[in-house]
Amino acid sequence: MKAAHSLYGRLLGWLTLPLLTLGALLLLQAWLEARTTADHAYDRLLEAASLAIAEQVQRQDDRLWLDLPPAALEMLAGDAQERVFYSLSDQQGRHITGNARLPLPSDRSAADGGLLYRDIDWQGLRLRQGIRRSRLEGWQSGESFDVSVAHTREGRDALRFELLRGNLAGILGMGMLAVVTLLMALRAALRPLTRLRHAIRTRDPRTLAPLDLDLPRELAELRETLNGLLSRMRRVRANQERFIGDASHQLRTPLAGISARAELALRQTQPERWRAALETIHSTSENTARLAMQLLSLTRLANPEYRPELIPVDLNDCARQAVRDHWMTCHQAGVDLGADCLASPVHVAADWQLQESLANLIDNSRRYGASRITLGVMTHPPRLVIEDDGPGIPADQHLLVLRPFHRGRDDHEGSGLGLAIADGIARNHGARLSLGDSAMGSSLRVEIRFPEASQ
Amino acid sequence: MNRHSLIDQMLLALLCLLPIHAIGGQALHLPADGDPEQARPLIIHAALDLAHVRPLLNAFHRRHPRVDIVYRNLTTLSLHERFLGRPEEVDVMISSAMPWQFALANAGHARPLDDATLADWPAWAHWRRELIAFTFEPIVMVVHRDLAQIAATPNNHGELLALLLEHRQELKGRVASYDPMRSGAGYAYAMEESRRSPRYWDLIAALGGVDARLMDTTAEMLDGLEEGHLLIGYNLLGSYAAPIVEANPELTLIIPDDYALVTRRLAFVPRRAPHPDTATLFMEYLMSRQGQRTLAEETSLGALHPALEGPGTATELRERFGDALHSPRLGPGLLVGLDRLKRQALLARFRREFQRESSGVMDAETATTAD
Repeated sequence: MKAAHSLYGRLLGWLTLPLLTLGALLLLQAWLEARTTADHAYDRLLEAASLAIAEQVQRQDDRLWLDLPPAALEMLAGDAQERVFYSLSDQQGRHITGNARLPLPSDRSAADGGLLYRDIDWQGLRLRQGIRRSRLEGWQSGESFDVSVAHTREGRDALRFELLRGNLAGILGMGMLAVVTLLMALRAALRPLTRLRHAIRTRDPRTLAPLDLDLPRELAELRETLNGLLSRMRRVRANQERFIGDASHQLRTPLAGISARAELALRQTQPERWRAALETIHSTSENTARLAMQLLSLTRLANPEYRPELIPVDLNDCARQAVRDHWMTCHQAGVDLGADCLASPVHVAADWQLQESLANLIDNSRRYGASRITLGVMTHPPRLVIEDDGPGIPADQHLLVLRPFHRGRDDHEGSGLGLAIADGIARNHGARLSLGDSAMGSSLRVEIRFPEASQ
Repeated sequence: MNRHSLIDQMLLALLCLLPIHAIGGQALHLPADGDPEQARPLIIHAALDLAHVRPLLNAFHRRHPRVDIVYRNLTTLSLHERFLGRPEEVDVMISSAMPWQFALANAGHARPLDDATLADWPAWAHWRRELIAFTFEPIVMVVHRDLAQIAATPNNHGELLALLLEHRQELKGRVASYDPMRSGAGYAYAMEESRRSPRYWDLIAALGGVDARLMDTTAEMLDGLEEGHLLIGYNLLGSYAAPIVEANPELTLIIPDDYALVTRRLAFVPRRAPHPDTATLFMEYLMSRQGQRTLAEETSLGALHPALEGPGTATELRERFGDALHSPRLGPGLLVGLDRLKRQALLARFRREFQRESSGVMDAETATTAD
């Protein structure tokens, strides 16, 4: 099983994802902040140096004059020994002096009355430039000029990384703490699950008793569901046990009858008695064989693994086939069997079991005293209808007779399995079997209703 | 357009005025021993006389015989000019013109050396691991023995000033110093000294008072001193003066004990050096104890290595003069000297002060070259 399918892994993944996102955002913020802070700190050097230079600018011999203070350049270099550049330009942007012709911003009014900082790429060097627009003070003229100073970024970058390293340590520490807490929390949260697993694993495999375990709400629901399943299994098992009991009983009774009849016949000497006994034994054993077969089909139908292989079948053919198969038997018993078919084919998905279902229903009607049995086919939805003129079943028994070993009347002729088998087959075909009163009075009408979509 | 065009013009204009430490075109070739196929070429361009550098190169070559050394001695001007024209042809650049070397490194022309290479090299003797100062050369006064007939030998700037003021007539025309208007070295010293001491301008005025002769090179001043028509030479490059003074008993070399400027030769490996490995090897040798000892013992260039002691080392000079030694800091302050306006201002001041007490007028040529 893949890690993604582990509850632990999934929780960890979903909790780590926001944690990582948060960490990345924090890092990004720390990076930007370190940059701003470093620039802020080092821009003061640009400010001071440009001011020191600007203060030395004066008008001499009718032109701008600068007595360059060495301290201004030293200051600009700082501890990181930056490369330094300066230039002085007049109002028209003409270069007066300097060791580099630093570029001036195109919108020079932006720098007016203050300092403009910007990052520039100059001759392959990454520089930070500060441009100070200043004005000559004095009674002569208010001519303005630009002092532009620049230095490399080593000091800033060093400070930035130092700041970032400090932040990084904090962020990493927090991250580690968060991960450890997360792991511990997950472990604690998932512990009841482990308990539940243990409880299930250590159970006696044969027991179906409900789980009694103190669990948190979400798992308590699971426990209730499990207990529900267990109780259904208990009922199923009870049903199975009853079925087996009934089946054994059903089989034992005729076998005991055969045994008793044979024993009785052996005590007698007349061959006529033997013959009568043999006939009885033959009839009973036939019934018993049929019963055993019915039990077999019922067991097969009850198998949830069983999936019939469905092919399209015309219900008209189906009914006609049933009449052909059972006409002789019915005719001998004096029962009138007929089919009422439609002109157009009615297709449903079915397999051979449908015939068996009809056989059971016909047999059932015959055994319970019908003298006329009619098979009918109807459409919308596709239906097979079997009507007889027998005594019928009271409405309150309609559901009960579908259960195995339930018989409408207490005689020993039928096994009580026919209707149950027909119902099981109908279910396997996605159809529904229902009982109703026939139009012929107090007789029985069995209807098998197929789903419409199967056409 | 060349990125350095304007600055270059300015620098070159200044460089024209640097003293010619070396005769242009001097070259030395130390071929590699053994198989020429396996020779490791090394091309050094420097403003440093062959006489001074030869012991160093020989020692390096003995140590690394596989290196094929081509050494070209150029003037500071042509050195700078040639480098800007062809920065990819040279492996090591050596010059005593500190501001110019610094300007090149600042503009990103130099290649940084490894941390390991500079492990025991003092932080004040390199810049960004790119620019290495490897010598320690004081700026000195040289006096002729005949001065003793006039006055006592001055031991510092104060005594020199007093001497100049007191014996104005006797010393007229017999004192020499660098001309800052024509010599880059003289300009650099003027720059430093004017920053150090406000009394510098009094000294200049006093020099003007005795009609001091302003010269272009240390060699020129030494010639005048040796011939005897100069009595005092002020601000001579100690490393060039020392061997001459040693050979001539009439001359005395004085390191001022109030403050003495110290100049340091700067070397760097260009970013586009064709043989950076060999260049690094040479730089390592320059900074090694062996290399520095060779500098101290076999040349008159002072060794800078702080662990070396004895004559010809910075340690020895420091012991003798302590805080009096002033070397310009290896930093962007050096760039100030290259500022066009700064230079004009300084030279104007120099002219003004020099003429304050002067009886005559500066000759027209000197006055016009200032701009």
